Amino acid sequence: MNLEYLWQGFAVALTWQNLLIGFVGCFIGTMVGALPAIGPINGIALLLPIAYTMGLPAESTMILLAAIYCGAEYGGRISSILLNVPGDAGAVMTALDGYPMARQGRAGEALALSGLASFVGGILGSIGLALFAPLLSGLAIGFGPAEYFVLMLFAFATLGSMVGGQPAKTLIGCVLGLMLATVGLDATSGAYRFTFNEPELGDGIEFVVLVIGLFSISEALIILEHQGRGMTVIRELGRMTAQMSDVVKSIGTTLRSSVLGFVVGVLPGTGASVSSAIAYTTAKRISDTEGTFGKGDVRGLAAPEAANNATACGAFVPMLTLGVPGSGTTAVMLGALMLYNIQPGPMLLVERPEIVGGLVASLFVGNIILLALNLPLVQIFARVLTVPNWLLVPGILVLSIVGVYSAHSSVFSIYLMMSIGLVGWLLRKAGFDMAPIILGFVLGRVMEVNLRNALAISGGELSILFSSTICNVLWCMALLVAILPLYLSRRAKRRIAAKNLAIAE
Amino acid sequence: MSEVHHPSSVTVRLIGRVSAICLLVFAIAYGVGASGIEYSFASDPLGPRVFPVALAVILGLLSIWYWFSPGFAEGFPTGPLLARVLAVPVVMVVAVALFEPAGFAASIFILTLGAALIFGAPPAKALIGAVGHAALWWFVFSYLLEVYLPAGALFG
Repeated sequence: MNLEYLWQGFAVALTWQNLLIGFVGCFIGTMVGALPAIGPINGIALLLPIAYTMGLPAESTMILLAAIYCGAEYGGRISSILLNVPGDAGAVMTALDGYPMARQGRAGEALALSGLASFVGGILGSIGLALFAPLLSGLAIGFGPAEYFVLMLFAFATLGSMVGGQPAKTLIGCVLGLMLATVGLDATSGAYRFTFNEPELGDGIEFVVLVIGLFSISEALIILEHQGRGMTVIRELGRMTAQMSDVVKSIGTTLRSSVLGFVVGVLPGTGASVSSAIAYTTAKRISDTEGTFGKGDVRGLAAPEAANNATACGAFVPMLTLGVPGSGTTAVMLGALMLYNIQPGPMLLVERPEIVGGLVASLFVGNIILLALNLPLVQIFARVLTVPNWLLVPGILVLSIVGVYSAHSSVFSIYLMMSIGLVGWLLRKAGFDMAPIILGFVLGRVMEVNLRNALAISGGELSILFSSTICNVLWCMALLVAILPLYLSRRAKRRIAAKNLAIAE
Repeated sequence: MSEVHHPSSVTVRLIGRVSAICLLVFAIAYGVGASGIEYSFASDPLGPRVFPVALAVILGLLSIWYWFSPGFAEGFPTGPLLARVLAVPVVMVVAVALFEPAGFAASIFILTLGAALIFGAPPAKALIGAVGHAALWWFVFSYLLEVYLPAGALFG
């Protein structure tokens, strides 16, 4: 296996400038993750335009954003454990055993142990990424336009069936994203689509405008609604190191959850919230012989943390090698690469090894920085939880406005961002998730171009979409991921009904 | 303080149906717009119309599915909380309107002062916070990161 790109990447990641950028990213990421109000996508969305405007090279921007992403996965556990409110979607399951441990006076132990589990998950995920990226990249070199089009359908099928439990809404989100991507000049025919004679829409809706509107503005409104709900921070942290017996007890769960998390991360469209839920329920099924899960069991704490950090790394595999994001956050990072006119895909590893290698190497370095930051400095990050919303949210609004203005120097873009934010808020209130919209948007143009190229090759024959083995395998996989969860949930419902019947009898 | 409540199944169904109708109307409007796209040439058999028209059809079908399967929704705020939520974009519009003429610092001061008050800060703290925000962000963007921002009449 050719790992030349990785050594090249370490040379990039270990320069002083990139080490500093990685450190800053890890620090900001942990803070962003610790705050229940904002998650990794918000952090990345707010900092992306600033990094771009500062003129950072593409590889440094990727290192910064990856550090924020991984940092947020570490930081999410802090508010889960101390506040019983997850700092990000991947840390929802962490609260189930982390908060009971904190209430038993073992908050410090819970933070230390979950920090270690995060580290193991992150490092194993990085190893998996380093090994799998060249393999998948080599396989994907054989992809033509038809294969790419079907691959993207597969990504949407995975998202629809595995995320959120509301397939109709998830798919509607994807289609809305695809629709937004059609705005602007059609490069093939020169036609203007949905621009309403507005010159600023000629280049389409800018990615930064969409992502900041959907995530930051709508989030600010949601925070306003939720503030005042009773939240008490546990301040007595107790002993700040993990007990050796707990480490030994949870090591098997940590390793298994890391592998599971990585595999889920590699699947296009699924993110840390899915993997941590699967890891927790798997750990519970295997290890909960005494009914201690949910009451402060260290294995219930380690499982989701190892999984969500491994997922963050796994999600880079499809993004870097196929150009299809593995999670909402990597969808934003894919959009970031596009800002630099870099189209992720199998050729990225060949043409820009410094970007892929630099990012992979920075994940190894970042996880070491994050462990070093998160064990001794966790008390400082815990203080972030006490920043009042009236001070925090205006800062988010300022960063949103400045981010959009700095990238586009246009007040129209700010108004557009605000309108998108309001629509995003309405959609969130109706129960829609924002990640599918972003996924649809970043894949939209590529998907249409590939479909049109495929049909241009075949002279308009749709049979080209079923003509190769890769296409057919992808169609089968798409069908499988669409049907399997339906079958499994029906089977589970039947089992529960049978159990209830047996109890009643 | 919070007036958001978990909606009943009837409310969820109502939210689902209203959203489904809105999406269906949007799908029709988008589809009509897509079928009217004008172009003089296309180098591929599909052209610039077919993909968006197909998306409109798919969204229409998904809206019907959504009508019958509304899933879950979070309740909309009512009363004073709704007024506060709507006040945030109003303050933002005022701040953005002043962004270029009055300058970044003045605009950020108004935005952060208004937002802090909406988020329930005592007036004195909101004022101190707004001055701090304006000064901090002006320093960070203009001097530390050297991002171009309008100085406006106040500082220009």
